[in-house]
Order: sequence, then C-alpha cells, then structure tokens
Amino acid sequence: LAFAALGIAASVQAASLQRTSFNYYIAGDDPGPWPQVLSAIGLTRAVGGPANLIVIRQVAPGSVAQWIQRIEQGSIVVLEGHSDLAAALGFKPGTKRVVVHSIVDQRAPKLSIVWETPLEIPVFDLPKDASVLAAERWENAPVMAALRRGSGAVLWIAAPPGKEGYERFPYLLQALFDLGVKPPFRSQRLWAFFDGAYRSRVDLDYFAERWRKAGISALHVAGWHYYESTPESDAYLQRLIEACHRNAILVYVWLELPHVSEKFWDDHPEWREKTAILQDAQLDWRKLMNLSNPECAAAVSAGVKQLVSRFDWDGVNLAELYFESLEGAANPARFTPMNQDVRDEFHGLNGFDPIELFQSPNPAPAHLRTFLDYRADLARRQQEKWIGEIESVRAGKPDLDFVLTHVDDRFDTRMRDLIGADASRVLPLLDQHDFTFLIEDPATIWNLGPERYPQIAARYQPLTQHTDHLAIDINIVERYQDVYPTKQQTGTELFQLVHVAAQAFPRVTLYFENSILTADLPLLACAAATVDKAEQNGSRLIVDSRHGVGVSWQGPAFVNGHLWPVRNDATLWLPAGTNIIEPAPKDSGLRIVDFNGELGSANASSQGLQFSYQSNARALAVLNARPSKIEVDGTLDGEKLPESGASFVLSLPRGQHVVLLTP
Amino acid sequence: MVLRNTFLFALSLSSVLAQPPDPAYQPLEHAYRALRDKSYDLAIASFDQAIGLSPNRASIRNDLAYTLLKVGENEAARDQFAEAMRLDPADVHVALEYAFLCYETRQQVQARRIFDRIRKTGEEPLRDTAEQAFQNTAEQAFQNIDQPLAAGIARWLKALDVSPDNFSAHQELATLAEQRDQLELAAEHYERAWKLKPGERSLMLDLGRVWSMLGRSEDAIYILLAASRGGQPRVAERARELLPDRYPYPYEFQKSLEIDPNNFELRREYAYLLLAMGKQGEAERQFETLHQADPNDLLTSAQLGFLILNRQDPAGAQPLLDQVLNGADEELADRARVALKLPQTLRNRLGSAQQTSQEAKSLGERSMQAGYLKDALKYLTIAQENDPVDFSVMLKLGWVYNILHDDHDSMKWFKLASQSPDSSISDEAKKAYHNLAAQFALFRTTVWIYPFFSTRWHDVFGYGQVKTELRLGRLPIRPYLSMRLDGDVKGNIGPTAGSLNPQYLSESSFIFAVGAATLPWRGITGWFEAGESVNYLPNRTDEGAMIPDYRGGISGAKGFGHLMNSSKGFYFETNDDMVFVSRFQDDLLFYSQNRGGYTFAPTEGFGGFQSQLYWNVNATGDRLRQYWANYGETGPGLRFRFSDLPKSLLFSVNFLRGAYFVNLDNPRRPNFFDLRIGLWYAFTR
Repeated sequence: LAFAALGIAASVQAASLQRTSFNYYIAGDDPGPWPQVLSAIGLTRAVGGPANLIVIRQVAPGSVAQWIQRIEQGSIVVLEGHSDLAAALGFKPGTKRVVVHSIVDQRAPKLSIVWETPLEIPVFDLPKDASVLAAERWENAPVMAALRRGSGAVLWIAAPPGKEGYERFPYLLQALFDLGVKPPFRSQRLWAFFDGAYRSRVDLDYFAERWRKAGISALHVAGWHYYESTPESDAYLQRLIEACHRNAILVYVWLELPHVSEKFWDDHPEWREKTAILQDAQLDWRKLMNLSNPECAAAVSAGVKQLVSRFDWDGVNLAELYFESLEGAANPARFTPMNQDVRDEFHGLNGFDPIELFQSPNPAPAHLRTFLDYRADLARRQQEKWIGEIESVRAGKPDLDFVLTHVDDRFDTRMRDLIGADASRVLPLLDQHDFTFLIEDPATIWNLGPERYPQIAARYQPLTQHTDHLAIDINIVERYQDVYPTKQQTGTELFQLVHVAAQAFPRVTLYFENSILTADLPLLACAAATVDKAEQNGSRLIVDSRHGVGVSWQGPAFVNGHLWPVRNDATLWLPAGTNIIEPAPKDSGLRIVDFNGELGSANASSQGLQFSYQSNARALAVLNARPSKIEVDGTLDGEKLPESGASFVLSLPRGQHVVLLTP
Repeated sequence: MVLRNTFLFALSLSSVLAQPPDPAYQPLEHAYRALRDKSYDLAIASFDQAIGLSPNRASIRNDLAYTLLKVGENEAARDQFAEAMRLDPADVHVALEYAFLCYETRQQVQARRIFDRIRKTGEEPLRDTAEQAFQNTAEQAFQNIDQPLAAGIARWLKALDVSPDNFSAHQELATLAEQRDQLELAAEHYERAWKLKPGERSLMLDLGRVWSMLGRSEDAIYILLAASRGGQPRVAERARELLPDRYPYPYEFQKSLEIDPNNFELRREYAYLLLAMGKQGEAERQFETLHQADPNDLLTSAQLGFLILNRQDPAGAQPLLDQVLNGADEELADRARVALKLPQTLRNRLGSAQQTSQEAKSLGERSMQAGYLKDALKYLTIAQENDPVDFSVMLKLGWVYNILHDDHDSMKWFKLASQSPDSSISDEAKKAYHNLAAQFALFRTTVWIYPFFSTRWHDVFGYGQVKTELRLGRLPIRPYLSMRLDGDVKGNIGPTAGSLNPQYLSESSFIFAVGAATLPWRGITGWFEAGESVNYLPNRTDEGAMIPDYRGGISGAKGFGHLMNSSKGFYFETNDDMVFVSRFQDDLLFYSQNRGGYTFAPTEGFGGFQSQLYWNVNATGDRLRQYWANYGETGPGLRFRFSDLPKSLLFSVNFLRGAYFVNLDNPRRPNFFDLRIGLWYAFTR
C-alpha cells in the first residue's frame, strides 16, 4: 500500500503544467510597449506573483549582482540599450555611432526590415559568447543579441522596441521563444485560404501536420483550379483533402465568382465581363465573367455543383462576389460591370446607358449616383442568387458548411461605391440562411494597427443578431501602403493582429497559407488563443476562455473534477467557459488527441469516453486508439475509422451531438 | 586460376584505391536516409553539409532542391537549381526546373528568358527525344508567359488611347513591358506614371532599374540617388541597394536635383557637401533654395545665417538667426548664440550626438595638454564627427595635425576653422593656415637671423639667411636662391701670439648662392649650394673680396617632450650638422648642439611670457683637425619668448664652459667661459 501511494504521488508530481511562462514582470516605471508585445502570445503581467520572464527597463542602483544571480538561476531577462546591468554582462557601447535605417535579422536574412524613423545608436561591444540575432544592415552593428548565463538567458536589444512594440525588431517574440519562453495557451481554430498553385510539389502530409500545429482548423482551397476535371489536378486535390482530414483539418472549396476558371474564360469569350472602356475584364489574376447573362450563370451554376459534388469538401466559401475595383469610377479601365446585359437592364430602368458616364467629358453626378446604387443592388442580388445555389447543393450534402466572404464596408465606408459591396443588405440574409459571414479586411486599411478589429466588430454587431456567425479575414500580404518595419505582417505585428482579432471575433481567417512566413508558424497558434482569465495556484490552474483553448500540460488531468480525455502529450484541450484543471493520478485509456469541433463537455470513465460538441461542418476527432463501439446521440455509428499514423480519425456529423466511445 | 583471381583482386583493389574517397559520402548517406523517413529538415541539413564538402556537384544541389520543394521552400529550391544550372549548363532538365521555379517565385522575367533560351535550342540538331520533349515544354511555358504579357500590353496600350493620363494603366503597362523585356516601353511608361504621381517614389526604383538595364547607367544613378534621399524610408533603402558602393559625386547630386528638384533632403545633403568642399557660395545658394522651399526649417535657417554672417553680412544673417533663436531647437539656438556672441542658455539635457561631441572634445583637449597627441586626434575626430560645425574642434584638429607634422591635414582643418563666426577662432586659424600655406606655395621665402653677444669675444655676431625656394610638385628636392650673412661687429682681434696676421672672428661676408635641399625626412635635411662670397670688410686681407663658395651638408633637428609653445614639462632637443665648406680648405665640420631641461607654462600676464631652463652640451669637430673647429662646451641656459610677440622670436642666455680638444696652433688657453646673449627670429612668406 505504501509503495502504491508513493507511486500515485510520483505520477501526480509528473502530471503538471509544462515549464510555461504565464507571467512576465517589467522592472521600471514605464512598461513601454511590452504589455502589447508579450500579451500577443498570451503572456500576462505578473501582479506580485512569480515571473520567470523579466523586462528590465530601469536598473536600480546596486541591483546588478542580484539580477545576474536571477539570470543564472533561470530567469529570462530582456535588456534595452545601455545600462549598468547590460555593461556588467558585456553589452558595452563603443565610441563609434551608427544611424540605423534598416536591420537584418538572422531568422529571415532576406527580409527587408526598415525602421520608419532612423535612430542613432552607439555601436555596442558584445560579450564573446553572445549570439547576434540581428544587425544594422550597412555597418553590421549588432542590434539584437542573445546570451545564456547559467540556466537563464538574456535577450539584449540596442534600443526600445518602439511605440507599438514591433517597429524595430519584428522577431522579438521568436527570439524569446528560442531562449525558453514557452507560451501557455494554444488555439486550433484558425482558418486559412489556400492556393494549390503555390504548393504543387510539397509533401501534403508534412504540410497538413504543420498547418495543424500552427493552429489551422480549415483550409479554404482555391476551387477554380479544379473547376474542370483533369486526372492530375483531381488526384492532387484528393490527396490534399485526405491529408487534411487525417490531421483534423477541414477543407472548404473557395469560389471567387465572377472569376470561374482560366479555361472557362478561354472557352467563352462571349460571356466575359467588360470594363468601362469596354475591354474584357481581365484584372490582375482574375478573369471576370458576366454572371448577369442567364446562359453564363446557368453554365457556372452547373459547373459549381459538379465541383462541389466531385470532392469530399467540408464547406463552400463564396467570396468577393461584387465588382471591381478599389479605384471605383475614377479608373474606367478597371471599373465593372459594363457588360451588355447590365447596360440593357440599367437602360431599361433608368433611361440611359451607363457607358455614357465614362464616355462623356462631364457626366452628371446624379447619374453616376444612380448607377452606383444600381450596381450595389446588383451585387446583393447576385449574392442572394448564389447563396441560393449553394443552399441547393447543401440539400444533397447536409454536413456542408457555408461561408460568405465579404469585404468590410462599415469601417471603410467607401467600399459600397468603389466595388458595390454593401454588408447591411447582405447581413439580413443570416436570418434565412445558415452561413458564416467572413469580413474581409479591405486593402485600403491594411496599414492600420490591430485595434481596428474591435472597431470593425463593433460596427457589425448592431447589424445582426447572429454575431456568433461573424468572422474576420486578415490579409497577410505585402501591403501597397508605405508600411514599416516589414512590407508584410510578420513576427510581433502579425501576432498582435491575430491576437486582437481573435478577441474581437469568434473566428479568424488568414489570407493566405502560403504567405505566412515560416518563422511565424511556431507562435501562430499561441497568438490565436484568447483567454479571459488564467490563475495558477500551485498545481491547480483556472482558465476561462470564450471559444475553448489548449493549455500547455503534460500527463493526465482532472477538469472540473472529471478525468479529462481530450489531450495529447503536450496540450490539454478545454471547452469554452471556466475550467479548473488539476493533475490526475491516472490516465484514461482512450483519448481524443485532436478535435476540430467546439467541445462542449467530456468525461472518461470505465464505460468509455463521452463527449458533446457543436460544429458548423462535420467534426473530426483524432483518437489515440480504435474504439470498439461508437454511438452518436445514442445511435451506433458503423463508420470504419481511417488510420492516421498511430491514431484513428473519427468523422462526426455537423450540428450538436453527444458521442460515446467504448474502448 | 589462383593467379588469375589474385590478379583480378589486385586490379579491383588498385581501382578502389585509385578512387579518391567521396568527401560527401557520409552526409549524403544521412540525407537520403532522412529523405526516406520524410525527415526533411534533417535531410536538408545533411545535403547542406554535403554541399560544403563537395560544392561543385550539381547532383547534390538538385537533390537538395527537390527536398526543399517538399517543404515548400521554393525560393531556396530555385536558388539551388540556379547553382546546379551554373555547374552544369548542358542539363536542360535542371534549367527547366529553374525556370518554372522562377515563374512561381515571381521572377517572371528570368523564367521567360530561360524558357526562351531552351526553346530556341531547337534550332540546333537534337540529341534525343528527351531533349525534344524539354524543348516542347519550354515552348509551351514560354508561350504561357509571353502571350498573356503581349495581350496585356496591347490591352493597356488601348486603354491609354482612351485615357492617356490613366496612372494605373501606365504602371500596369510598364510592369508587363518590363516582364516581356520591352525595356524602352517599360521605361517610357514608368516615367509617365511617375510624372503623374511623383509621390509614388517606388516608381523611381522601377525607372532606375530599367534605365540601368537599358545601359543608361548614369541616368539610373541620378534617379536612384534622388530616391535614396528623403521620401519613404523603404524606397530610400532599396535605392541604396541599387546604387554603387561609393559616395555620390557632386555632379550626380546636381543631376539628381534636376530630376527631383523638390527633394529637400537631397538638396540639403548636397549643400553640406558643397560646404565640406569649401564652396561656400554654391552652398549658400542651395541653402537659400531650401529656405525658400521650407522657411520654417530651422537647420536650414541656421546654416544659411552662419554662411551669410561669415561673409560679413550681419544684417542679412540676423533675421535667420533670430528665427533660430526663437525656435524650439535649443541646441541650434545655442550655436546661433555663439555665432552672435550671445551667452548660451542652460539646458536640461544634451542630445546624444552633442553630448558625445562635448565629451570627446574635453578628452581631446586633455590629451592634447598631456602631450598624448594620438589620443587627442582620436577624441577630437569623434567630437568633430558628432558636431561637424564646432569650429573650436576644427582649430584643435589643425594644431594636432600640425604637431604631428601632417601639414596637409593641418591646413585643411585650419581652413575650415577660419570660417568660424567666432573671430578669435577664425583669426588664429587664418594665421596658422597662412603660415602653413607658405610651404605649399610655388615660391617660399624663409628669413632667419641669429645675432648674439659673446662676452668671450666682446663682440656681436650676426648670422642669417634669406632663402627663396622653388616647390616642384611632389619632388623631394627643392632648388633655391640664398643669401647668407656671416659676420660680426668687431671684425678682427688683431695679431696674436701665434700669428702676425689679424684674427677674424667670422667670415665677414654675404654669400650669394644657388642651391638645392631635400625635403625634411624625420627632421633630417640634405643641402648643397654653390655661390660667391662677398667680403664686406674692405681691408680684410686673408681672402679676396669675392671668392667662390661651395658648401653643403646634412642637418638634423629633433625635439622631444614639452617643447617651446606647448605645455609645461621636460624636454630635450638636438641640432646636428655635418657641413662641407670649400673656403676652409674643403673642410668637413661637425656640430652637435643639445639642450635638455624644463619648459615652464606661459604666464597669464606679462605678455604671455614662457621660458625654458636647460643645460647645454655642445661639441664641434672637423675633418682637418683644426684647433678652432674642435671643442666642447657645456653650461646652463635660459630661453624665453612672449606670446604677444611673433611666435618664432626667441631670446636666449647661455653661460658656457668650453674646452678645445685640439690645441696645436691654438693661440689661446685651452679652456674658456662664455656668456652668450642672443635672439632668434625667423619667418616664412
């Protein structure tokens, strides 16, 4: 008995939080941008409690020896510029000075990192065993370096990180991660757009695993490449879908109507959209078709239905169904629609041909207003029509989810006139149809900071009661604006965007999978996690989250007093709400190691594993062992479980269900 | 049979031994094993290691590239294929892979060129069907790129027919034209787009890039130089990447300003460049333009004010400097106060550059005072870099270089310091500059005189020389014309016991000569002159009224420690000469005069009196062993000057005890005392 008790105690000791960094401490009166920086990956400011990550902005006189002792005992310390402590550690300013305009970070040496405001700094001498992580571009003066001392480490930066925290050193958080700062929470709820043209030769299994680790729960796959069936493209897409499903990632078909496909454009010159200079509307990569033409619309409808039925899709994303361009009527060469069907209809309604607006030297402003209103209404009519088309497809595929991607026109109110987008006319459709309204961050505001997302959310909430169906799309691309320090969001800026967006919206989507830089992948899932409260009391942890979250955890655990069966070797997956986590003495045999639905409850007992969930598409559960019996809502499910490595993938129906798995 | 097997074994063994071991074998083994296990990161690391060991094997790079493709690192894979193609240009398959990846990684221009090259190899005889297949692929790929480009160009040209000032049409057209290698068309429309929206400075990069490809290198530099200054920092950095790795020439600034006349930063940098080149007038015009463009820019107002003040137009400068004084920039205002000789204000904190300058200046001055000239130079240089308009630092740099015998640099700093609005600085700098400038003039005249009274002879002796030398560029020899004076007041001391003829105490002559001297090397100079000695004593009988005079020799002078005109402290100096004089029976004389002692600090009053107390040790000898030319003397001495008087006017009092080393024919005692009171004065014009 004594030996048994000892064994239990030992396993309780072993089952615990990983060596995570929940709290940080800032030494100095002014915290600067550090709370924004560190909270982007879920770290919270210590209020009197322990912290092993310390930002030392001011070194109190006589405290140098104590700080060095703390570092040697395991603390990770951040130092800015010159201080007594920095000097004691070997970071000493030399007499030479350099004006820093741009830097090179070893993590991404080809990435252009330019400081909007150049800064003159001394050229520092570094301790011999320090690793230079970033240097001034032209003189190679070190600006960020890491130093390990004892069991702790120092991250030194030559200057404060800037007002927002990302203006100077994009990869601060990655550097801290490498030095041992382990963020406490993860989310696996991100969506990402995917274009197979950029991933034609990759190992899809390798990538599916990578995407899942980065927190992606669904890919929205560019459907136009597969609109026409070819053996090669069909086989590729089939492999992609299978690889994703094995890793609990859903796959949606992403449609960009009125772009249909390259071949459709080539085959049907008679149905091509026209610009206001009456050229075929080939604008950038999109080749726009005239969906106002009944024959064209019928052909596209048949093609879309065939595309959806040919593959094992989990959902449909009908995206950006309105007109061109962001320059609006000011640029006739990019202005659509101006096809004959639209012109005839408008002429019939209003008595003049809209092309006259672009051929007359002084068009009447009222006439342009009339046409722009007509155009916005036409966009809404087309959206309604195509929502109906997708709904008709869903009738035959009940697990299919549906997403409507629509550019924001509430925050940037010019969108209605520029491209015909009018969310206020589309959002009421949520009362009749079950879909997610994915708000696209318009290109015109890509240069603004993360605080725009709560503002965007606030503008949509009054427009619909279905706020749980709102989602936000963050465009991670090279922005056309004059932005700093990087043209495309990466590092701290990206994490702040994702984190703030995840707090403001139930779902965050990234455009697009291929543009996310490799350096950002390890912390993306941490940035996407949102937790309202996290309290650590000895081995007990209380976590309150709105959408469920993964907690860094090793070994078995009780959640709210029940043995919790939803965890893998590193993470414990929690449902939304307040959860109390404690180490458990023994594990359940059958476990859900990954799940992409919204977990309601879960419990492991000798009878088996029972859990409830809700999902807008089918739900995928990855199990660590094959159950002998599967019951969904009390009914036996005879589905054969496909294997995924050492795991088994269980496909579950859309909606709200209770599942019992017998070992 | 045994013999045959033995032979075969030996053969195979020798063949194995003849193979050089594959240095990359082991990492390649690891790489392929990792690849089989789908451990791509490990495979990539092992391939990298193998490439390090066998950098010229294209096959390893190909395998690495394919592995990189598996993990989606397309740009890295492209670069490996590029290297493989370089190593094996005949491998068409690799070239195709490279081209496809160029296309996928947004290097369409390169992709199109490679496909074009491969498809055109079809004009040569084909080796096999595989090659034919490659060509067909290349042809198809080329058309897939080229046809949309051609169609796009036609479409946007048509759009411009309808709307000639459509910015985006020009930009789209230029981009497509560049991708299709229609560079003239691209340049035309990038330029038109930029003219329509000059604020779109990234178009300057496009234009510079295309001009460069068109061979318009200079135009490219001008526009890239403009893009690299001011405007958007990102564009500026990218422009800097494209510019040559050197500082631009002044004419390039001029041309850039013609292209981008409103570029404030570019013009300001050019104006400062002109200032550094000493072209105050042109600089002032540039600052005037800047001031008109932005009358509120305090730095411009200050600089323009200083320049106007410097050309003695205080009324013109006053409004500008008043603006600076009333402005928010305290540092700038203080500089204006210095220029206007107003008291400075107290400030809470100095800016970093200014602070560094002050610290470095202080260290420089202390180093200078302590005689640590290299340290002084280092600190003063830092001070000047951090505060380029501190004229007192410039003046000190001039003196340090002067003491270090680097007169070229010394002059440069004196000249800059002479532009100081503070007259005490500018006067001193001007004076120093002119003193140094003389040595760089074509003709340089040096005058020195050394009259002294000797108690031993109760006579006043006078030595002196007027010498005009001709500077011949960098030639180490300088020819000169010279007139020497070698005389005394008394003339002779009458017959002595050893001689019935009167004894002359000097040469009593003016010596007119033509000579040449070497440039000093570590204080040593060689010289030789030929001339005529003219006796000014009509009754002198021991030599003719005019006699030929040839003389020459080597002379050296060196000082150590705290010399006159510097700070207090110990010092030592030596003057050593070896002189051939024809009139003394072609004698060769040796002189060594040495003084060591203490230099006192100049006094605050009393005309800036500064003195040296020292001990003399002198020795003279000659080749012919004549008694008058072989003696030694030693004793204390005092030398002094007044800073209110010319710098090179020195007074000396020496009390010497001497002894002749050769007394054969010496009509006097072998020992003597002598008190010599003299002055030394020299100047150069």
